[in-house]
Formats: sequence, structure tokens, C-alpha cells
Amino acid sequence: MALSASALKRFFIGKPIASSEDQHHRLSKKIALPVFASDAISSTAYATEEILIVFLSLAAVGLSAFDNLVPISILVIALLIIVVSSYRQTIYAYPKGGGSYIVARENLGKHPSLVAGASMLVDYILTVAVSVSAGVAAIISAFSNLAPYRVMLCIGFIVIVTLANLRGIKESGALFAPPTYLYILSLASLIIVGLYKVYFKDLGPIDHSGEVAKELLSGQKSLTIFFFLKAFSSGAVALTGIEAVADGVPAFEKPEAKNASKTLMWMAVVLGTSFLGLSILAEKLQPLKDHEGNIKVTVLAQMAEQVYGGRNIFFFITQFATFGILILAANTAYADFPRLSSIIAQDNFLPRQLANRGDRLVFSNGILFLGAAASGLVFAFGGLVNALIPLYAVGVFTGFTLSQFGMLVRHRKLKEPGWQIRAFFSGVGSLTTLFVAGIVVVVKFADGAWIPAVIIPSMMVIFLTINRHYVRVRSFLQIEEGYIAPRQIHLVVVLVGSVNRGVLQAVKYAESLRPDRLLALSVVGSPEARAKLDADWAKHNLTVELEMVTDQFRDITDSIMTRINELDDEASDDIITVIIPEFVTSLRSQWLHNQSALSIKARLLYRPNTVVTSVPIVIK
Amino acid sequence: MGLRDIGKNLLTDKKEIDTERLCSRFEQYDFVRLGDMKCRKRVKVAGEIKRMRIKPRSGIPAVEIVITDGTGEITVIFSGRRNIPGIDHGGCIMIDGVPHQDGDRTVVLNPAYTLLA
Repeated sequence: MALSASALKRFFIGKPIASSEDQHHRLSKKIALPVFASDAISSTAYATEEILIVFLSLAAVGLSAFDNLVPISILVIALLIIVVSSYRQTIYAYPKGGGSYIVARENLGKHPSLVAGASMLVDYILTVAVSVSAGVAAIISAFSNLAPYRVMLCIGFIVIVTLANLRGIKESGALFAPPTYLYILSLASLIIVGLYKVYFKDLGPIDHSGEVAKELLSGQKSLTIFFFLKAFSSGAVALTGIEAVADGVPAFEKPEAKNASKTLMWMAVVLGTSFLGLSILAEKLQPLKDHEGNIKVTVLAQMAEQVYGGRNIFFFITQFATFGILILAANTAYADFPRLSSIIAQDNFLPRQLANRGDRLVFSNGILFLGAAASGLVFAFGGLVNALIPLYAVGVFTGFTLSQFGMLVRHRKLKEPGWQIRAFFSGVGSLTTLFVAGIVVVVKFADGAWIPAVIIPSMMVIFLTINRHYVRVRSFLQIEEGYIAPRQIHLVVVLVGSVNRGVLQAVKYAESLRPDRLLALSVVGSPEARAKLDADWAKHNLTVELEMVTDQFRDITDSIMTRINELDDEASDDIITVIIPEFVTSLRSQWLHNQSALSIKARLLYRPNTVVTSVPIVIK
Repeated sequence: MGLRDIGKNLLTDKKEIDTERLCSRFEQYDFVRLGDMKCRKRVKVAGEIKRMRIKPRSGIPAVEIVITDGTGEITVIFSGRRNIPGIDHGGCIMIDGVPHQDGDRTVVLNPAYTLLA
């Protein structure tokens, strides 16, 4: 049984890797771009669509939605430029990797760093949920009869990515580069071919049929500032994932900071141009999408179909590339979430287990937690991207804000040459992102932004409670000057049911401990049982004192506990070892044996000055 | 039984139930109660046998029994024996001897005893 469980684990997870085989290979810029940028660039797959959903479905502004698409995109790109220029400084300041949590911890102190940590953790969970949902949406756009299985597909892919990460797929270029570059190429091709056809071949808007489409197009309301901000905050999800480069500076080839900074710039260029390009194309082609998921085909797929003139090979390549990069984006969260949670755990704000590396040198517990949390979210929101988006941006922008504010404080403190201008950038950046985070919470509060707004503070409370516990334990265990462990009177109690081979072994073992006092204790049910035990004890020449108690209420565990308490009261500075002879058979038949040993052990576990020892009697 | 009694029933633990049982069992006899017993004075006390301990030391074995009547307890040691017919868990005996203090416990050595019904 035990063998097959480990065989099963071996089958799924692979053979264990020794600690000494851990190695960090450095990434060149060409490889680093796909590794770190897949998360950020992948958000172009749904950002435009999310803006359109707000305009068409929620604000019901009809065709004028398309006129506002490009202005919103330009605002988002402006935000991108601000955040990227601020992150460039973080890269130079923290060549060992400067996530929001670390920057906030170094510069702002405990509480802000915990806010940043909680925000980023929440965000990584959402990255997985959103990316996988969007990836599945791309597949469903290509194969519409898969639509009823949306949630199942999402959870299936999360399980696959979780397993792959438990096996420990490295952030290896071989895996990341092809899908990311394929996606960038397919986006470039879609935008260039699309705009060429629009401007030179008079490619018109997509013909829409169906009730939902008519309803969306017939919207006549005028655009309010509320919905404009809402659309902007939906578009701002395009910025998620750009912190990844700053986190991963040590993974770059030397000079790390310079290469990382260049990669960040390239990522921003790719992200910005493709996002703007897609928005311009969407303005011309007028794809539609509603917020309840009645239109199953994604905006990107609608545009690809129109541009390539039907569902041909180019259409399918676009869809698969989209799916591929989105799964990779989910995968980056699997690297980031366990790494951040292990750092927080090392700072004693999360359970230590999260800092443990598993068989394959990955932080297994963090990976499992991430997979479970993301699956839960997907399930709760039916795998719909636009239902998850309102939850998404809060954490990211909180993280950005704290990270940049941390940089501002750092500049003021260090006062390196030219610090004023950098401090200015960080200040503007942090104010802007704070503003965006505020917008997201306010305009999308009812849509789901309240969830992170509640979860992040509660996570902080959890962090602090865990920390208080660890601090208390540490201060308790600390050795004060001149402390000597006291010599305690050692009382050993062997629990005896009947005289058998196991009990004889247990008594021998107890004698070998050479205690100050040794006692065998038995709870007997009847005078006959007592007489038999007494006779057996004499027959085997046992020289240990045998105490026999009876209990009027037939509760063995209770009688033993009472007696141990009484024995403990007899001396003040004693330590009691309770020896329990215990049958060990196979897992199949263990339950057939009386479980009293288990319940006694459970009761004694929390008793001070009490050692519990099982003497196993292995039945072969 | 009033509500109050039911409430009381639910709250009393096993130890109290047992104490009450013992007290009512020994009300009928006219012995010194174990709680009122004085050391170094010859007394007649009675109680129910709560636990027994056999010291099978080579040479001189001994059996120690602890008896209680609900008000207190006393350890009775019969040296030179491993067991005494009629003395068993739950049984009642009356002893006649001189108790003395031995550490935390009150002990009487080799008293005269009578088995009670």
C-alpha cells in the first residue's frame, strides 16, 4: 500500500532531485523576453475585449463604443510607460530581484510589505484563473462545441499545469520561447494584414447576426464618466505581469540589471504596440462581446476570422498561439506564487511548510495551494474571463503603488546623484497607480472588486497572527544566559492490556531506560481479568510493579488519564514517559485492532512533561 | 425531577457521580470516615477497593490496595503476599489498624481486615 502510493507519486511527479543538482542557468535577453513577458503580453488577448464588454454590454452605448476604444488604449499605454520607467529603477536598485514585497519590506516597513505581499499573492492566483479561462475561451472560439465544458476544461488545464510544476519545469527557454514568439508573430501578422486590408482592400466591419449582437449594437445610451473609468480599469489589466522582470533580475546574463532593463523595454514596446494595434483593428472591424458569455467567440477570434477570411489555417494558428501564451502566463504565476510565499514564510508570516521544497526542488505546497485556489475561483465564476477581471487589477496596482512608493523613499534616503528626477518618476508612478487602484475598487466594487478589498486585509490579519505565534514560540525557546536544563525525576509508565510478547518487549525497553521509578499500569474490566493478569505477571517473572485499576464507567482512556494525573501530582519536578505497546499490522487490517492506543496518544500529546513512546510490535 | 436537577445531572462529571455513589454506600456503616481519620491512632475504617498494586520484588512481594469511601482514601499494604482471596476491585473491606503518613499518602501496614458484603 505504502509502496503503491509512492509509486503513484513517482509516476506523476517524477524521480526526486538531489539538492546539489539545483542550478540556476542564466537567461539571454532573447530567451528572457518570452520567459518573463508571457504574462504581460498575454493580457493583450483579453484586454481589448474587456474594454468592449464594458462599453457594449454594461454601458450599452452601441456603436460609439468603438470610437472610445483607441483613446482608452492610449491612456493605458501612458500608464504602461509610467510604470515601466519606474520599474527600470527598481531593476537597477535591486539586482538580486525586487518584487513589490521586497521593495516595500526594505523601504516601507512591515505592514506595507504585507499589504504588497498579500496583494501579489491574490494576484498570482487570479493570473492563473484569468489566463487559463482566457486560454480556454480561445479554444472554445475555435471549437464552439466545447462551450458546455468550459469550467471542466479550465480546471483540467489548471491540474495539468499544477502537475507540470510539481515535476519542476524550469523557466526554460526551450519551453517558453516558441509559443510566446509564435503569439507575438501571429498578433503582428493579424494587425498588419488586418490594417492593410482595412485601409487598402476596404475590408468592412464584421457582419453580426443573432439577438445578442443586435441588442448590443442598438445601445443608444451616452457614455458616462463612470463607465469610461470602468472601461479604463478593465483595459489596465494589460499591465498585469510587468513586475515579473523586476522579480527575476538574477536570472539574467551579466550585466543583469542592464539586460533586464532592456528586456523590460522590449516587453513594454511589444505590449504597447500590439495592444494599440488590436484596439485600432477592433475599432475598424467592430467585433462584439457581451458580459454574460452569450457570444462564445472571443474578440480576437472574431477579428482573426474576418481578417483571414474564414476559419483557415491562419485563424487556427492564432487561436492556438493565444491559448499557448495564456497557459504560459498561468505557468509564470506558478513560479512566482510559490517563490513569494516562501519568502513571506521565511519572514515568519506564513506557515513554514510553504518554504519547504519538495522532491523536485520546487515549493510543492505553494504550488498545490495555488492550483486549488485558482480552480476554486474558476469554478465559482464559471470560467468567464470578464467575471474574474474586476477582481484582478486591485492587487496588481496595490503592488505597483507600494513598490514605487518604496523606491521613492529609497531615493530620498540614499540621495544618489540625480536622485531628484528618479524620485519624481517614482512619485508620479506611485500616485498614478494608486489612483488606478482606487478607480478599480470604486467603479468595480459591486462587480467583484470587493473580494480582494476584503481578502487582502484579512490576509494581513492572518500574516500578523501567524507571525505573533512564531515570535512567541521563538522567544519561549530562546536560551537565556546561564540556563541549564533541569534534572527531572523520571517516571516510566508502561500501559498493559494483557501479558503478551509485545508487553514483555515493552517492559524490557522500559527497564533499559533506567528510570527513577517504573510502573506497569493496567485497566481491568473484571475480577477474573485481574486475577488472570496477576497470574500471568507472576508466571513470566516480571519484576515490575503492576498497578491495576478498575473503572466504574468502562472508559479506559479516561481511567489512564486520571491515574497519570494522580501520579504526576505526587512529584513536582517529574517527567513521565508513557510507553504504549502497539500492534502494527498492514494498512488493510490495522483498523481491526482496538484504537485505544491512538486515543490515549491523542490525549497525551498536549500534556506537559509527558513523553509518549510507542513500542511497535510488527505483525508480519 | 426538576429542570434544575436535569441541568445538574448533565454538568456533574464522572468523579462526582462516583463520590456520591460511594458516600451513599458507606452511610449505613458506623465507621470513622476516611476524611476524618487521624494518623497514629488506631481506627476502624472501611472503603471500596479502587486500585491494586502488586510489587513482585524478589524475596518479599507485597500487595498494596487503595480504598476509598468517597471522603478520602488510604493505602493498605499487605506484605509477603501477592494476592488475598476475596480482595478485588470493587469489593469492600473494613480495616482495623494504625495509619501513618508516607509522603503524600496515608498508609496502614498489615491491618486486620474484614470483608464487607
